[in-house]
Order: sequence, then C-alpha cells, then structure tokens
Amino acid sequence: MNIYTYIMRRLLYVIPVLLGVCAIVFVLFNLVSPDPTLIMLGKHASVKQMAELRAELGLDRPMLEQYFDIVKSAFTFDFGRSWTTKQEISEMIKAGAIPSLTVTLPAFVFSTILSIAISLLVAFYRGKAIDKVVVFACVALMSISSLAYILFGQYVFAFKLGLFEISGYDAGFPYFIPYVLLPILIIVIISVGPDVRFYRTVVLDEVYQDYVRTARAKGLGEKKILFKHVLKNALIPIITFVVIRIPFLILGALLIESFFSIPGLGGITLNAINSSDFPVIRAMTVLSAVAYIIFTVITDVLYTLVDPRVRLS
Amino acid sequence: MKKTLLLTIVTTLLFGISCTKKDVSNERTLNLTVSSKVKGMDPIYSNDRYSSNEVARVFEGLLEYHYLKRPYTLVPNLAEDMPTVSKDGLTYTFKIKKGVLFHDDPAFPNGKGRELVADDFVYSIKRLADPKLQGLGWWLLDGKIKGLNEWRSKYAELDAVDYNEEVDGLKATDRYTLEFKLTKPFPQFLYSLAMPFTFAVAKEVVTKYGQELLNHPVGTGPFILPRFEQSNKITYTRNKNFREKKYPCEASEELKVKGLLEDCGKKLPLVDKIVVNILIEDQPRWLNFQKGKVDFVAVPKDNFDTAIPDAKNLSPEFKAKGFELLISPSLDVTYTAFNHDLELFKKNKALRQAMSLAFNINDANKLFYNNTALPAQSVIPPGIAGYIENFESPYRGTGKAADLAKAKELLAKAGYPNGKGLPEITYDCPASTVSRQIGEYFRKQMAQIGVNIKVIQNPWPELQKKITNRTVQTYGIAWGADYPDAENFLQLLYGPNRAPGANGSGYDNAEFNRLFKTASVMQNSPERTALYEKLYRIAAEEVPWIYGVHRQSYTLKHAWLKNFVSTDFEAGRASYLNVDLKQKAEAKKKL
Repeated sequence: MNIYTYIMRRLLYVIPVLLGVCAIVFVLFNLVSPDPTLIMLGKHASVKQMAELRAELGLDRPMLEQYFDIVKSAFTFDFGRSWTTKQEISEMIKAGAIPSLTVTLPAFVFSTILSIAISLLVAFYRGKAIDKVVVFACVALMSISSLAYILFGQYVFAFKLGLFEISGYDAGFPYFIPYVLLPILIIVIISVGPDVRFYRTVVLDEVYQDYVRTARAKGLGEKKILFKHVLKNALIPIITFVVIRIPFLILGALLIESFFSIPGLGGITLNAINSSDFPVIRAMTVLSAVAYIIFTVITDVLYTLVDPRVRLS
Repeated sequence: MKKTLLLTIVTTLLFGISCTKKDVSNERTLNLTVSSKVKGMDPIYSNDRYSSNEVARVFEGLLEYHYLKRPYTLVPNLAEDMPTVSKDGLTYTFKIKKGVLFHDDPAFPNGKGRELVADDFVYSIKRLADPKLQGLGWWLLDGKIKGLNEWRSKYAELDAVDYNEEVDGLKATDRYTLEFKLTKPFPQFLYSLAMPFTFAVAKEVVTKYGQELLNHPVGTGPFILPRFEQSNKITYTRNKNFREKKYPCEASEELKVKGLLEDCGKKLPLVDKIVVNILIEDQPRWLNFQKGKVDFVAVPKDNFDTAIPDAKNLSPEFKAKGFELLISPSLDVTYTAFNHDLELFKKNKALRQAMSLAFNINDANKLFYNNTALPAQSVIPPGIAGYIENFESPYRGTGKAADLAKAKELLAKAGYPNGKGLPEITYDCPASTVSRQIGEYFRKQMAQIGVNIKVIQNPWPELQKKITNRTVQTYGIAWGADYPDAENFLQLLYGPNRAPGANGSGYDNAEFNRLFKTASVMQNSPERTALYEKLYRIAAEEVPWIYGVHRQSYTLKHAWLKNFVSTDFEAGRASYLNVDLKQKAEAKKKL
C-alpha cells in the first residue's frame, strides 16, 4: 500500500475516535460532573439565577442537541469560550502551549538522549559493577516522589545556592531560559530512572540475538556493534516509547508548572477540571485524542523507515 | 563537531541565565503575589478576591472603604460626597466627581479617554443586571432596585437587550447626578457600590471589545493595564492622567501610631508600577519573599513555627533581615454545619449542643491555626456591630472535663445515652489535607461521647453540589465577609435563604427569621445593633452549627514597603502603598 494512502486511511480513523471521545466526555460531564452553574455563581447561587445561567450556557437544551454541538466543535476546532474565565479557548491553548513546550520538550529530548546513552553503556558493561550501580540508582530515583525533587531543587539550587530562578516565566527567547533550566533538570532526573530501566531491557533483548554473535565472530568492536547494530535494531520499541509520549508534552507538566509558575496548559486543564469548565475540558480532551492518533500514525510510518521488513497495510 | 555542539549548548545556557529581564530603572515598583489564576478584568465577573483585587486597580466605584479607618467606614470615591438619602430610606442621590477621565484607549475618539458621567454608572449597573451576560454579582442587586428585576426578566426572553430603556430606580438625572430608588429599605445597599461588580465601565469600550472586554480593561483607576493575558504575571503602570486623589491625613488611633500618615496629602498612586506574580504554591511564594522579590506575603502554615515561634513575635533571624510582622483579625467564621432538613438535627437541639460541647476548640486552634485564631462563640466575628465582646457560649467546648460531662448529659437528654441508638453521622469536607485532618479531629472529638462520625472528602465543586442537593449530614466550611455588616453573617441562618442560597444548613427558626427581617432593613443605629446582638445570642444558644474560629491573618512584609495595613477589603489598596527605594536597595544586600 502506498504510504500516503495508508496515512490518509489512518487519519480517517480520527472520525469514529472523535465521535467516541465526544460521547464519553459528554456522558461523563452530564453524569459525574458537578453543576457548573453552582461553581460559577459561588456562595451566592440562587435557584433562579442557576436556572438562568443554565439557559444561557445552553444546558437546558435537549441532550442530543448538546451532543451535536460538542461533535461540531471537535471537528471544526472551534471550542468557543471558557465558561469560567470567558476567554477564547483557542487563545488560551495558543498562549499555554509554548510555555509548556519550552519545559517539556527540552526535558524530554535530554532525558531520552541521556537514558539511551546510559542504557547502551550499562548494556556494554552488563552484569558488572557499573551496571548494578546504575540499576540500583534508577530504582532509587524512581522511589522518590516527584514533589520531593521539586521542593528540594527549588529550595537548595534556587533559593540557597542561587543557581536558578526560584519561579516565574518571561515570554520570548531567550528570556524564558533562566526560568526553565531548573524545571528541565528536575524532569530529566525524574524521567531518567524509569527510562533507563526500559531502554536497558530493550537493548539487552537485542544483545543476545544471533546477529550480534555474528558481528562479534566477524571481529567487530563492541562499540560498533552497540551503536551501529544493536541500537538500530532496538529502534522500533524505542520509537514507540518516544513518539507516543510526544502528544503529552503539549499538555504540560502539572506539578512543575504549578511550583515554578509556568503559564502552561497543565494549569489550564487542572483549573478547568476543578471548576467544571466543560468547554475547556472538551477542547483539551479532543486535542489529546487527535494528537494521539496523529503520533500513532507517525510511529507506524517511522517503523517502515527504520526497518524495511515492516510493511504498511 | 562534537565540541562545537557542546560549546553551542553551554553558550546558549549561559546566555539564557544572563537574560533575566532586570528592573534597572529607578521606578517605584510594587511586587505583589496572588495564589490563584486571575479570571479576567471584567468587573461584573469579579466574584473572587483575586479577580476583584485586580479589577480594582483599573476600575473604580462610587464609594470605597477609608484606607486608615477602623471599623470599616465607607467614603466617597468617584462620588463627590456621600449620597443624600430620602426620609423613607428608599432614594439615594449621588453627585459624581467632575473631570474624571477614562484611560486613553482606541475605543474613544482620537484615543483620548473621555470624562466619566452619571450615565456610565447607569450603564455599568445595567450590565450587571443584563440577563445575557449573567454577571456574577447580580445577587447584590437582585430585588433591590425598583424596576431592575423587571427589566432583566423582560430581556431574558428577547434576543437583544436595550440599555436605553429606562429603569425607574436607576437614573442619571443630569450629567453628574445619579439616583437610585430601592424597592424596600436596604442600608447595606451602599456597600454594593464599593464592590468591583458595580465599578464604572464605558459603553464605547464595551461596544468596541465586546466579549473581549475582559482582556481590555479601561477604567478611571490609578493604574493602566493595556491588555490582560492569562499568564503568570500582570504588569500595571501608573495612570498619568489620574485625578487629584490624595493620601488620607486622618486615621483611627490604632493606625496613627504606626507611622501610616507620613504620606499625608500626597497625590495617589504612590508607585509607578505594579507587578503581580501568580504563585499558586506556598513554597515559591515564601522563598521569593525571602529573596526580596515579593513585598509582602501571608505566612504559610508550614513555615509558621520557623517565622513566628511564639505565635506573636517574629523570629530574631527574620527580624534581622528587616521583615515586619502584621497580625490582624479577619472578618470570617469557620464552622461545622448540621443539615437541618434531617429530623435528627432539626428537632434535637440537645444533640447539637452536646456535639458542640464535645468539640474542643482550643486544641483545634493549636493544631490547625497555630493557636492564632479566636474561638468563635456565635456567628458574628469581632470588628463589626453585633459581636458581643467577652461573650462565652455555654455550649462552646473547651476540652474541660465538665464540658464532656455536660455533653454526655445532653446526649442522654437527646435520647442517645452514650451515643446508643444514634446512627453513624457523615462529615463532608473539601479535599485538602488540612480539611481531612480537621475531619479526623472532629471524628475523634465526637467519639469521646459515643457519636460515630464518618469523614468524607470531596473536591470543592462536589461538596457545593452536595450541600445544595441537601445530601450532607454535617459539613465543614467557612464564610468570609462580603461587606462589614453583621447582616452578611446572620443571613447564613435566615430560613428563606436556604440552599442553594447562602443558608446551606437550612436552619429555620421563626423567631430568628422575624428579628433578622426587621434588622436587615434598619439603618445603622443602636437599635439595630441591639437586634444583631439578640440574634447573636440566639445563634449561640440554638447551636445551628458547631462554631469554629475567627481566623487572624499573619502577614510578613519588607520594611521598605510603606503604608501597608491589613484589611479584609483589599480592592484599591495598591494605590496607597509606597516603596522606599533606598531602603530596599540596602535591605536586598542582606537577603
């Protein structure tokens, strides 16, 4: 099958997936979520004003009509305005995506490169002291709560030692850099433990394969075997692991954004959930679903590039 | 190649580190912090303290609270003077100040802000009543201004709202005269006019920006914000065309001694710029304060013992750094409400009294408020008329053996000796750690007399929903004053206000209702205070809630921040604050 046909076909899957996502979001909102009018009106809510507000928000219309509104907004990407902040949601997303990405993207790139490098290293020294120390360190790093890293990092590195800004964010390059360095460092430390464990397993699965023995028999050096042959063959699980995580980078890192006062999408989503701000929840859910599908397709296409044996069908 | 890449990364990082925007000017800048996202800058939606404080930097109202007078006293702001009130208490006539200008904005001809007129208030108040906009402060005026409810109801049914249609009780009788006619006497009406919901907006600005008004605040206030963005920082600059408004030269006795009159007669605002940092978490707020990046901060609970070891005085270490401590009571009350829809609580006063006596408020104060709060005896907090100084409720549990004995006696009288026959009672609370701890404490206290409590945590919206739907049995909550009048607290127990109105517990007592109805329409007078005190005593005797505490605010500020006073009504405070730049430069060297 032509790669473009494949991509088009897979992208068409967006339609049923979005219909399903809209249905789930709609049902959850109507069954589980607290009454948004009560939250918006706060401590002075009256029955009459709640009814008026419900009418104004269109919550008194037939269910089917409300569902079609959601579907329409999902396919047109016109999410309207937030119920609580009255802001245009597309503007909120635009404003929040960049700050989120300035933290999560570099952290993701650094932690991935570092983790793969460490896993290749420990695979090279498998079973030896360095391997055991790294595995132990990974488990130790994973055992500590991310909140502890944030509190400690902020207090020691930013406040006591003055190496970084305590919190804040200035938009625009290069002004944001001083503010994102410590958050990036913390995310890298949080991610490196589980990532190294995963990549080490993937690499070790490969190093016992026949082709590695053949390469050794041919007299190739360990470095060449690891970097040229093993890494290439381990790429499929690595690509799956890496690419599927990309959509979530846009959604931001909730705790980090909150502690470092970074105006990203994580905070917007959390606020929306806390205030039953349905249009924002709906927008974030739909965008996540679309991004997830797109990156799944990208993963599939990348498979064919790294391994010619994989065929798209 | 590798070296070049490494060099590039290192250079970028070092460049970045050195790229923090630094305030190198000699401007007087206030560095403030808020702990929540600010929703937007439209006055009619400013229903939380964070939004209303921001709105009040740009917009202004007819009245405001005198900055240096306690008890809180209303004084004219955009009004020329306090209103004349008709003998029947129904008509309020305001003269507004002449020559007050809106901020310059493209919405006005030639971009120059025009003069504020009485019609702007008529328009702004109609906006609050507009059924299409669903302003969140409508409760303030609901049923109070003659013809306004009818106007609102009429346009709720139609597609467009006609602001030109006259409302009988809301008129500009000439360019500078504004007249309100009320449906019934309501002395608290004046407080509405000091709240950001009723602040003046210009029709041209609303027309130009439409729904985007909340991002384009254009008022008459002391500070200008060209565009609001939902970010982590809001930066205001001084309004150079601000009218001649002066720092007050008189103050209450307790405020005179603190050197708060040094700027007497100076033109406001006293600073050039305000930077509001949105710092949601306690730790960054606290650390930024200690580094001098924030001018004042409420002491976080977890840092309280370090900062104020004896709960009264600042630690020597912090004193040496030039920090100053301000303690002031807040107009609020915390409480555990009974659901009076349930026969169990409605008809059994002895059960409510027993549970109240079993709840040791002194230990709760130590555990949850660092022993800084004032145990509440009834519903009204100190600082407003109606609170009875030194009053002690006979049903206020203090941990004494006698209290427990009496609680057991009352429980037996209620028909549940040692709790026998009493079903398990649920206690709903918000989902925070402290709320859960308070819930556990409540459970332990009630267990002393044989009352079994099940603690249920809820996200805040869920708790609100449960209270409104009457599916709670008991619940822990607090109330902060909207305005400094006991009516604002007593209405929480007024039967007709039952949930989803302010009376979440659904308490309904004919005698209380009758007295409240009478007092709520009376002008401030000794007679009204006497009625408030009577209601205070009924609320203590009847125990419709288990009263908690009246909290106190503990604020740390840097010595360079001048004219700072604690207040329950922060809107507009920033224009009175000042910064001593020389002192700040010296102090920052130590931090």
